[in-house]
Amino acid sequence: QDKELPPNSTKYTIGEINVTGTTSYNEQTVIAFTNLKTGEQIFIPGTKISKVLNKLWDLGLFSDINIYVTKITGDVVDLEIEIQELPELAETKIRGLKRKKKKEELIKENKLTAGKRVTENLITTTQNRIANSYKEEGYLNAKVKINTVKVEDTLPNSNKVLMVVDVDKGEKVKIDDIQFNGNEALSDAKLSKQLKKTKEKKFWRFWKRSKFIAEEYKSDKASLIKKYKEKGYRDARITNDTIIKKDDNSIVLELDVEEGNRYYFGNISFLGNSVYSDEQLKQIVNVQKGDVYNGTLLEKQVADPTKPDAVDLTNLYQNNGYLFSTINPVETRVYNDTIDFEIRISENKIAYFDHVTVTGNDKTNDNVIYRELRVKPGQKYSKSNVVRTIRELGQLGFFDPEVLEPQFKNVDPNSGTLDMVFPVVEKGSSQIELQGGYGGGGFVGTLGLSFNNFSIRNIFNKEAYKPLPMGDGQQLSVRAQASSFYETYSLSFSEPWLGGKKPVRLSASLSHTVQYFYNAQQRDTDRNRRFLITGGSLGLAKRLRVPDDFFTLSGAISFQHFNLQNYNTGLFTFGDGYSNNLALTVGLSRDNTATNPVFPTSGSQFSVTAKLSPPYSLWNGTDYEALNQQQEDGTLTAAEVDQEKFKWLEYYKIKFNGTWYNRLVGKFVLKTSAEYGFLGAYNSDRGVPPFERFFLGGDGLGGFSLDGRETIALRGYPNQSLVPIDRSSLSQATQNDGATIYNKYSLELRHPITLKPAASIYMLAFAEGGASYDGFRDFNPFQLNRSAGIGLRIFMPAFGLLGIDFGYGFDPIPGTTGSNGWETHFIIGQQF
Amino acid sequence: CSEYQKALKNDDIAKKYELGISYYEQAQDGAKRPKAKYRKAIKLFEQILPQYRGKPQGEKLAFVYANSYYELEDYFLSGYQFERFTKAYPDSDRVEEAAFKSARSYYEGSPRYSLDQADTDKALDKLQLYFVTYPEGQFIEEANVMATELGQKLEKKAYEIAKQYHHTENYKPAIEAFDNYLVDYPGSSYREKAIYYKFESAYLLAINSYDYLVEERLLVAKSYLDNYFKYYQDGELSVKANELKADIEERLQEYS
Repeated sequence: QDKELPPNSTKYTIGEINVTGTTSYNEQTVIAFTNLKTGEQIFIPGTKISKVLNKLWDLGLFSDINIYVTKITGDVVDLEIEIQELPELAETKIRGLKRKKKKEELIKENKLTAGKRVTENLITTTQNRIANSYKEEGYLNAKVKINTVKVEDTLPNSNKVLMVVDVDKGEKVKIDDIQFNGNEALSDAKLSKQLKKTKEKKFWRFWKRSKFIAEEYKSDKASLIKKYKEKGYRDARITNDTIIKKDDNSIVLELDVEEGNRYYFGNISFLGNSVYSDEQLKQIVNVQKGDVYNGTLLEKQVADPTKPDAVDLTNLYQNNGYLFSTINPVETRVYNDTIDFEIRISENKIAYFDHVTVTGNDKTNDNVIYRELRVKPGQKYSKSNVVRTIRELGQLGFFDPEVLEPQFKNVDPNSGTLDMVFPVVEKGSSQIELQGGYGGGGFVGTLGLSFNNFSIRNIFNKEAYKPLPMGDGQQLSVRAQASSFYETYSLSFSEPWLGGKKPVRLSASLSHTVQYFYNAQQRDTDRNRRFLITGGSLGLAKRLRVPDDFFTLSGAISFQHFNLQNYNTGLFTFGDGYSNNLALTVGLSRDNTATNPVFPTSGSQFSVTAKLSPPYSLWNGTDYEALNQQQEDGTLTAAEVDQEKFKWLEYYKIKFNGTWYNRLVGKFVLKTSAEYGFLGAYNSDRGVPPFERFFLGGDGLGGFSLDGRETIALRGYPNQSLVPIDRSSLSQATQNDGATIYNKYSLELRHPITLKPAASIYMLAFAEGGASYDGFRDFNPFQLNRSAGIGLRIFMPAFGLLGIDFGYGFDPIPGTTGSNGWETHFIIGQQF
Repeated sequence: CSEYQKALKNDDIAKKYELGISYYEQAQDGAKRPKAKYRKAIKLFEQILPQYRGKPQGEKLAFVYANSYYELEDYFLSGYQFERFTKAYPDSDRVEEAAFKSARSYYEGSPRYSLDQADTDKALDKLQLYFVTYPEGQFIEEANVMATELGQKLEKKAYEIAKQYHHTENYKPAIEAFDNYLVDYPGSSYREKAIYYKFESAYLLAINSYDYLVEERLLVAKSYLDNYFKYYQDGELSVKANELKADIEERLQEYS
């Protein structure tokens, strides 16, 4: 509603409204926009008119707006709205740059697209922005000039301009020399080392630029002073720094340094601490009287913002409920070269969590998330629990770990309570595998589906299919593979919190494989000759509390039934018969890697597993020594003896695996790992079965295995090529048989390219070595097949991990001479 | 080429308007395959909405556009479009209906209790606004039913989260969470259970404590139990409560 503006406001009725001036808009459109209507009552002067003016100005389309009263008859007023439209940008031309791409980039960055309104402001800011962007790259003499030219057009009322941007980059300015004056304690070389991004021009340092960038020079100077502070020169400062222009494209930097005195720590006392004693605090501060003064170190011991889980005073308080504590080191006395410190602590009230909530979960059910939270209502505030919660939520794989940021709400120092919100962002966590191809003498098709956040209780609930029943954190995968000579089907399911009370993981799997006899000469399969494997497993895993809660204990029972019908494999000496593999697997593992499961940056993983079959030979009364004897005598054939031996497979297998992740400089992460495996027999006469063996070398992809074999990756060598080195001289085993012992050591340096949820990509360089053996007689942990190389990994939630590695094998493959040379490995899934 | 395809490619906005409205009206009057008709209407409306903005037909167009999404049960878009309508045409005759349908769209978009309830909160806000603006409105009854249901959903969510602390044997957090629950949702349908399980958490905490803490904690549990009986002498869970009461008294005898 219009209001009158005093002093002399009059009420009128609007008569005609006209729009004049230069405008490409329809008159009606403009009037409709102003909301002024003929017949409406307004005040002049009044709020309505000024609102209309503001509304039009806000559009940013006009250079001038006026509203005139053209005629007054009685209380009827005719209005004229005069608007001058800003010129519209027809095209931007950039001169002085060669690369077309760079020109397009400039247009895009400065949003100089056709149709934009050209204001003085746009011209000036564009000019400055382009010039500054060149200055940032070291072109200190860059000049930018912008002209606008009116475009003649046949259309009436056309108001378009052409923008011409002249860019003169000039020569790149390099730093010819950096001179330091006044430094005694630290040499010129040491000081120039501190200037990390501001470097002198040197012919041998071709990888680092010697450009002058004001912004970086400023932060480099600060780090120079920091270096002095670390060495005890508390008062060090740069008194003067000059940039001297040597010629058009080189400058000299001159820095005058005043070092001041070197200081030492005096007495360090604590004030205000009641929860921790002076001794306890001193242990953490770890500075002795007489130590060289180091301001940076002291600050770090009080609070180190770069490491959320550092051992410092702040974290000591923060991890034990003292959210509101503040700690300030204060210099209390300076005498000669000694500084006394007082660390003033105000502990304040202990803070307790009140409400703890999760938001943003539009797929995953509350209970799946809340059970993982280490922050609970009524608990004392602990920073380390918050940090750990974030890490573990990221590891679930349902949420984007890069955007998990806890939020403190309703923090109330008076009542000592705070609310905590964990906003999560769901990410796709299902994978589909569908492939078809020609391989192994026929068409091979695979269909695999794996759902990582499944809800099995809703599997028959039609409502839940949007598109799939999700949100209970269960995993379900189904896979089928078929070709002309084999078919394999598998189904697996796992529930991480069986019963929802404790993290007890239940996993179950079923699989069935049929392999038909393939006649290589006739290129045909014989479906009457076949080899069937049917198996399943059922396991439980429980997170332990002792020794610490990174430990997991697991147990599983697995069973496999092999059935041969007129089918000879390398495994059995008989073509008709059966074999059963029943085993109990017990494992203990510890995993505290953080934060992103695709790219861990710290922590370690350890696991020890033992897979044991029942010791049948203890009670079944078969005399295997006699059997062996009869085979030698010829009273029994090898096939008959083997059938007796392999009716129920008997063995034990022990494996160890340890992996460490360490962050080095920058974003580099070093992964170190060692693994061992051993397969043994309870009864030496019965012997180690040809099953469950280790095959070393290559990409480690499991592929199609009939016999419970373990393929161990070792890059730089062909797949499964590294049989025990002197096998032929020691045993009758062929090159196709697996080994019973292996060891492997690996170092891998990783660097991320991107860790976005859509795709995580990282590069790696590795050096590794491993070997396999037929027994402890020839076990030699130093006789390794070594290799080194580089690779790339891409993780996309829909496809899992994909990668390629190029590895050079330094040692010969057993049976050949000379180093193995380069191998290329394609990686699908997480193998290394 | 069908009439629809022709209109879709034609530049004549009046034609598109007419045909779109006729599809919409046919669907409203119960023509066959109404969903296809609404979809066609939406396609046409999308093309002409900007041109009609500010014109007399614009108001009707904006309403039927939003309502088409509503009829298609695409509540995410209808909620937004109705909201826009109420802002753009506050003087319209159909603004009450639009306000209600906007709220109802958010209501339909509200997920099951165990997921994030941002849309539930939004729906409740919209309903509240409706109650305030149209206290005598024609949809007030339906709106009341919806608001009650959404409120109960939020209650269930908070209750289940607190109950999970009890289930996972995190008894201290459970007590705190039930306490918060009773303050945040007074008079909820889970009130008895919340009071009972708060007591049971305290009881289980007490009997699983170190010996020197048991008595003190049992007394706390007993006070929670007394509180339960104060309100629910013959409650759903009173049989179980009576059993535990006897147990507590027996245990406390050992300490006296």
